[in-house]
Amino acid sequence: MEERKACWGARDEFWQCLDRHADDASKCEKLRLSFESRCPQQWVKHFDKRRDFLKYKKKLETEGYHPPEADGKS
Amino acid sequence: MFRALLPARCLLPPRRPPATAPPRRGLRGRDPTRDGGLPLGRRVAAVAAAGAAAGAGWLYLRQEKERRRRARRREELRALALGQGDFALLDQEGRPRRKADFLGRWVLLYFGFTHCPDVCPEELEKLCRAVALLEREPGLPPVQPLFITVDPERDDVAAVGRYVRDFHPRLLGLTGSPEEVRAAGRAYRVYASAGPKDEDGDYVVDHTVLIYLLGPDGLFLDYYGRSKTDAQIAQSVRRHMETYEPVQ
Repeated sequence: MEERKACWGARDEFWQCLDRHADDASKCEKLRLSFESRCPQQWVKHFDKRRDFLKYKKKLETEGYHPPEADGKS
Repeated sequence: MFRALLPARCLLPPRRPPATAPPRRGLRGRDPTRDGGLPLGRRVAAVAAAGAAAGAGWLYLRQEKERRRRARRREELRALALGQGDFALLDQEGRPRRKADFLGRWVLLYFGFTHCPDVCPEELEKLCRAVALLEREPGLPPVQPLFITVDPERDDVAAVGRYVRDFHPRLLGLTGSPEEVRAAGRAYRVYASAGPKDEDGDYVVDHTVLIYLLGPDGLFLDYYGRSKTDAQIAQSVRRHMETYEPVQ
């Protein structure tokens, strides 16, 4: 439980830093290292994918869905 | 001068005196004021009563439709008959547990694994919150929270014990040999697939994320996905308890 909470806390801090710096990972190096040290590697990969998914979902919700441009207009 | 242009009076049809207005007739052809038919107040009351009856009838029909829909769903889920057969697993104290041990009890069951990053802890917390909500209601039978692993290779009795401690004092965690665990998962049509191992030998197990409700006869009654809240689960369980009829 404690390890899980520590990992989730580190992940949340890292994500908050990314939110503050518009996803500029270079500004959050230290938190990234802390996150990677507190969480198993599988979880790091999982959370990275989850972050991408959450951002994509937010983009859909705010900007709407733009299908890729087709050659011929229907 | 113009008067000369008018036709002679004798040629005009006789002017009839205006007829007296015909007596006012009510709907039944009687003069309402004379015979004492329904005055306005009574008629308004009659229409209002008819309206209220129609409204009540509509509400009742809507409720009845909801009831029938739920009963139909229960029948469909019962026809699926998930959770047949027995399982023989070990709980976190190492005690053997068979499915028959849970007969007569309501069970909320979740399949997961202890190395799960976020989904399993969140779903288990939600499951235990739903159980806590139901515990607070007097007169309801107790609900047994149950966790069965889909990762028997790593989740031995000790690992499961460490895991379930975090969630609820009555949460039982079951594990066993890979064959038994797979058989239990198959009985509930749980999909589970271990992912590739990384250099630490770590892997995640992709699996169905559902909380299953089992009735006292051990059969599957309902299921709840990620989007259901603890309150919604508790309400659904309560409703199942009210309408439960044991299979003859």
